Amino acid sequence: MNRSELIIQIIALATLTIACVLVWVVTTEVFHVEGEILSVPMGIDSGSDLIDRLYSMIPLLCVAMLLSIAFAFYIEEWLSETTWYYRIINQQISILANIPSLIYGILVICIFLFQVKEFLNFTLVLAIVFLVVPVIIRTTQSAIRGVDLSVREAAYALGANRWQVITDHVFPRAFPKITGGIFTVISRVLAIAALLIIVCELRTSIIQDVSSYEISSDVFVLISLALLSCVLSSFLQINRNS
Amino acid sequence: MENKIEISDLKVYYGDKQALNGISLDVYPNEILGIIGPAQSGKTTLLKVINRTLEFTQDFSVEGSVKLDGVDIYSIGDVHALRRRIGMVLPLPVGLPLSIYDNVAFAPRTSGLRDKAELDVIVERCLTQAALWDEVKDRLDSLGTKLSGGQQQRLTIARALSHQPEILCLDEFSIAVDPITTMRIEDVLKDLKNEMTILLVTNLVQQAKRLANRTAFMLNGDLIEIDDTDVIFSENPAEKSTYDYVNGNFG
Ligand SMILES: Nc1ncnc2c1ncn2[C@@H]1O[C@H](COP(=O)(O)OP(=O)(O)OP(=O)(O)O)[C@@H](O)[C@H]1O
Ligand SMILES: [Mg+2]
Repeated sequence: MNRSELIIQIIALATLTIACVLVWVVTTEVFHVEGEILSVPMGIDSGSDLIDRLYSMIPLLCVAMLLSIAFAFYIEEWLSETTWYYRIINQQISILANIPSLIYGILVICIFLFQVKEFLNFTLVLAIVFLVVPVIIRTTQSAIRGVDLSVREAAYALGANRWQVITDHVFPRAFPKITGGIFTVISRVLAIAALLIIVCELRTSIIQDVSSYEISSDVFVLISLALLSCVLSSFLQINRNS
Repeated sequence: MENKIEISDLKVYYGDKQALNGISLDVYPNEILGIIGPAQSGKTTLLKVINRTLEFTQDFSVEGSVKLDGVDIYSIGDVHALRRRIGMVLPLPVGLPLSIYDNVAFAPRTSGLRDKAELDVIVERCLTQAALWDEVKDRLDSLGTKLSGGQQQRLTIARALSHQPEILCLDEFSIAVDPITTMRIEDVLKDLKNEMTILLVTNLVQQAKRLANRTAFMLNGDLIEIDDTDVIFSENPAEKSTYDYVNGNFG
């Protein structure tokens, strides 16, 4: 690991952390999460309410996927791999894509247990975005990189411009892998949805006691450790690639 | 008669490593210029400069000038149009992931031709010129990558001809082609010379002797000698190293 690589990683991690803290501060401030737990009536009372809510997220899911694919093409085809912003973006995506989806699940569950109405949609949106975007970008990137350089060069040598090379050669060749990524993401989202439904129904059945429920601090320790090791793993993977 | 290509004091670097050490040569219109030389002498690099595909290598730099019909190629704004004026055939065939028909029709389509009848004509003409038409005319819709190695190379040649280039660059085209097909393609090249200028990089010196009007001998990034093929292959070329290389007692 050389020095500039290390600096890039630290910058990537630092900006990500700052972004997370910002999101946290904004949400707690804007939505007054603390202190109002359970004081607001719940938006969702049964599993089928939740399913309706999840259905309404499908358009968002599709838009998120399409934008992620477009973004992956942008950074792979238009940004040069040696620039510092490409490397920072790459590092951040890799960290995010490595976070186990269960962590988002736990996050959403916590919010469900202490249902706060306005907070609910926001969390779902956030969870979907974090669940979908990095993974799709990552798989699309590797699909694009998997297209032989010789194919590109041959197409360019025939006088094709960048758009023609992308639409006629890179995209069709990368397409199967991109669909693979989409299915990975769908499976992650479905798993979380299933978990949510279980939690939601459990919650309605034990609703009376929820007010006294407190999340054990062990859970936070475990989650922190999980995040740490996934950051480590993404660092190691990046270094092996380059 | 005006020169087709004028190269003067061309230097190419890959990072710190110099691959061409200041080459100057002119290419005449409608000639076949053979370029011979041992491995690593910079032959491929020279071709990549001419159609500006060197630009896909990281960390390259070019000094000196290359003029095509008197215009410096690095001053040409539309690099794609420049590349369409030059056909390039690489040592190993690169099948685009398309059908045989679409492989050949690709370049005309990129320059805006959509008319099916016109495309049909071009596809047949190019495949015929590349000595491949008879073998594939019944299965133009099957994947180009499913052809044999030699057929794929001829498909690459057909593709390189499809945009009617003014210059055809062939880089050791016969590595993956059997001798009989090589002979057929060589015959085609002799005819094509009337329509275009041909740069033939080859590691078979006899191929240059058979085809080229003039031959250039390169060694370690230097142009040692360029002269009429008869002179290069005679008993007394200007440089002794040329004689040694041509007669196979080199190094
Ligand atoms: N992409 C590259 N990056 C770095 N160096 C390169 C690259 N391509 C070629 N070179 C170097 O440039 C020099 C000339 O290479 P070039 O491929 O032009 O030789 P050549 O005459 O075509 O050889 P061959 O007969 O083996 O094809 C070689 O020393 C080679 O190592
Ligand atoms: Mg070569």
